[in-house]
Amino acid sequence: MSTAAKTVTAPGTDQITSFTFGELLSSRTVIGQTLKELGETHDNLWVLTPDIGATLVEFRDTYPDRFVDVGLSEQACVGIAAGLANEGNIPVVSGMLPFLSMRALEQVRSDICYPNLPVKIVGTHGGLVGNGGSTHYAVEDLGLMTSLVNMTVTSIGDPLMVGEVLRQSMAMTGPLYIRLAVGKKDKVVYEPGSVQIEIGKGITAREGTDLTLFAHGETVSQALDAAGILAREHGINARVVDMFTLKPIDEDLILRCAEETGRFVVVEDHLTYGGLASQIADVIADRGIRLDGFRRLGIPQVFAGFGEDTELRDKHGYGLQATVDAALAVTA
Amino acid sequence: MAATITRPETDVSELEDLSYELREKLLLLCGEYDGSVHIGGDLSCADILTLLFQYGMHVDPQDLRNPERDRFVLSKGHAAVCMYITMAIRGFFDYREIVDTYGQLGSAYGMHPCKVQLPGVEVSTGSLGHGLPLATGMALHGKRSGMDHRVFTLMGDGETGEGSVWEAALAAHSNNLGNLVAFIDRNRQLMTSFSEERVKLEPYPDKWRAFGWNVIEVDGHDMAALVQAFDSLPAPDSDVPTVVICDTVKGKGVDFMERNLAWHAGSLNDTDLARALASLAHGRKAA
Ligand SMILES: Cc1ncc(C[n+]2csc(CCOP(=O)(O)OP(=O)(O)O)c2C)c(N)n1
Ligand SMILES: [Mg+2]
Repeated sequence: MSTAAKTVTAPGTDQITSFTFGELLSSRTVIGQTLKELGETHDNLWVLTPDIGATLVEFRDTYPDRFVDVGLSEQACVGIAAGLANEGNIPVVSGMLPFLSMRALEQVRSDICYPNLPVKIVGTHGGLVGNGGSTHYAVEDLGLMTSLVNMTVTSIGDPLMVGEVLRQSMAMTGPLYIRLAVGKKDKVVYEPGSVQIEIGKGITAREGTDLTLFAHGETVSQALDAAGILAREHGINARVVDMFTLKPIDEDLILRCAEETGRFVVVEDHLTYGGLASQIADVIADRGIRLDGFRRLGIPQVFAGFGEDTELRDKHGYGLQATVDAALAVTA
Repeated sequence: MAATITRPETDVSELEDLSYELREKLLLLCGEYDGSVHIGGDLSCADILTLLFQYGMHVDPQDLRNPERDRFVLSKGHAAVCMYITMAIRGFFDYREIVDTYGQLGSAYGMHPCKVQLPGVEVSTGSLGHGLPLATGMALHGKRSGMDHRVFTLMGDGETGEGSVWEAALAAHSNNLGNLVAFIDRNRQLMTSFSEERVKLEPYPDKWRAFGWNVIEVDGHDMAALVQAFDSLPAPDSDVPTVVICDTVKGKGVDFMERNLAWHAGSLNDTDLARALASLAHGRKAA
C-alpha cells in the first residue's frame, strides 16, 4: 500500500486505460467492463438483473443473447439464474443487496446453495450507504449469507479487486456473494500487483505488531487511516487486515495475528453480530485463543436513519475516531 | 361515511393549482438538495397524490390517529418527497422544514418514508412490492371490524413485477375487500427501461380483471377525469377491490425530464432548475 499518486494500467482491464492510484474509481464500471471481458472467454456467462445496473450496458450490447433484465422481480431473477446454472451456464446476478439478500433469500438458499450451483450475486448498498434509509441498507446480509451452506461470501472496497475476484470466480463450482458499498466512487486501496488477491485468504494491507485492525469493504480504507493516526499521534503500530472473504474465513491468518499482535479490533459496516466480528470470535472461541483485547465496531441494534455514510458511522460508533479510540482502549 | 372527518371542498381548477404548487415545490427542493431525488416518479404521481390528499381522502392533519380516517400506503416509497410535500400543502407538515432537512442526519424526511420518525405516515416503505400486502391487511381489519373507511395505496407500474403484489391481489379479491383501492402510476417506465421493452406488462388492465378486481382506467394528469374516477369508486362496504390505472408520463411537466430514463432520479443545478421551472410554467400557460 502506497499513498503516492501515480498513473498505472490495471492488469487485465485494458478498457480502464489508466487511473490515478489513490483516487476514486467506480466499482460498477469495473464490473461492467470485467463482465464484458469475461463474456468473451466464457460463452456460458450470463448476466441477469432486476431493473438495476446501467453499467451492465456494455455486456448487454455485446452479448444480448446472454443478458436478461426481468424488471422488478428479484425472486424470479435469482430463480432464473439457478435454472440457467442448472443447464451448465455461469450466471451473474447484479442488483441491490438488500433486495437480493432478503427478498430472494429462499431462492438463494434452496435454488442455488442447496444444489451448489455456480451463481454469482454481486450488488451494492452493503452497509449504511446511499442515504436511502433502512429499507435500502443491507446490514444483516453477511449474517444471512455466511449462514448458508456452500456459499462463499466476500465484501470488497477496492474497485480493481472486484474485477479480480470476478475473474477468479469463473473457476468456482459453487455460489459466490460479492458485497459492495455504493460502488460509484471507491478508493483504489491496492496498487495493482502489490498484493496477492485470492478468495479465502485475507490481505495484510499494513504490517504492524501492537494490534490488528480487521475490516472489509469500505472500512478497510478507514482502518488504514486509523492506523496512520495511531502511528503518527500515539506511537502505536497497528496491523490492518482486509478480510475480504468472510466465508470461508482465513483461520490461519487470524491465528497468526493473534500470536503476533495479541489484540484485535474489528470494524465493519454491518450489524456487530453476524458479520466479520462474529466469524472471528467463532474462530477465537473454537481454537481456544487467548487475546489481550477484543473490540467489535459496527452497527448496533438500531434501524439507522438517514444521513451520509461517514455521518452515520460516526453517529453509530464505528467511524474513524471510534476506530482509533477502540485501538487505544485495547492497547492501553 | 367517516362521519367525524370531512373532505376538503376543492374543485377541479383549485386541484390543478394545488398540483402545480406541488410540482413547483418538488423542483425547488430538487434544486436545493445536493443529493439525488427521484424526481421522474415524483412528477408522474403528483396529480394522483393531489387528488387523494386535497380531494378524496378523509384525513385530518390535527387528528392523525382517528380510527375513521382513510389510510394511505405509499407503496412506491421512492416518491416519498412528493408525498411529504402534498401532505405539507394539506397542513400535515411544514414545507420549509422538509426543504431544510431533507435527507440530512437525524431528519424525519428521508428518501423513503419512515412512520416511526414521521407520524402521519401510515407505513414505512421503500422496498417495492410491500404496499399492496400491507394495505390488504389494513383493509381486512377495516372490513372485518365493520368500519367504512377506505385503504388506498399507490404503486409504480414497474413495481407490479413483484410477485408479492399479485399474491396480495389474490388475497384482496378472495376476502372481498371493496374498501381497498390501488392506484397505479402507469408511466411505462421502470428504472432502466421502458415498459414493454424488456418487461411486458400488457395486457395490463386484463391482468387485474383476471384477478377479480374492478378496473378503472384514467388519464393520470387530467384532474377532471381523476375526480370523476374517484367519485365513481364503489362504496367501501362493497365486495370487490378496485384498481385505478393512471396513464401518466414520468417527469410530467418538465420537457427535458419527460419519458427520459436519465431522470428516474437526479439533481438540479441552478441552470437546470431555472429551465425546469420555465418548462413547468410554459406547460401551464399552454393548458
Ligand atoms: C424491491 C426493490 N427492488 C429495487 C428497488 C430499486 N428501485 C427503486 S425505484 C425502481 C424502479 C421502479 O419503477 P416503477 O415501479 O415503475 O416506479 P416509477 O416509474 O413510478 O418511478 C427500482 C428498481 C427497490 N426500491 N425495491
Ligand atoms: Mg414506472
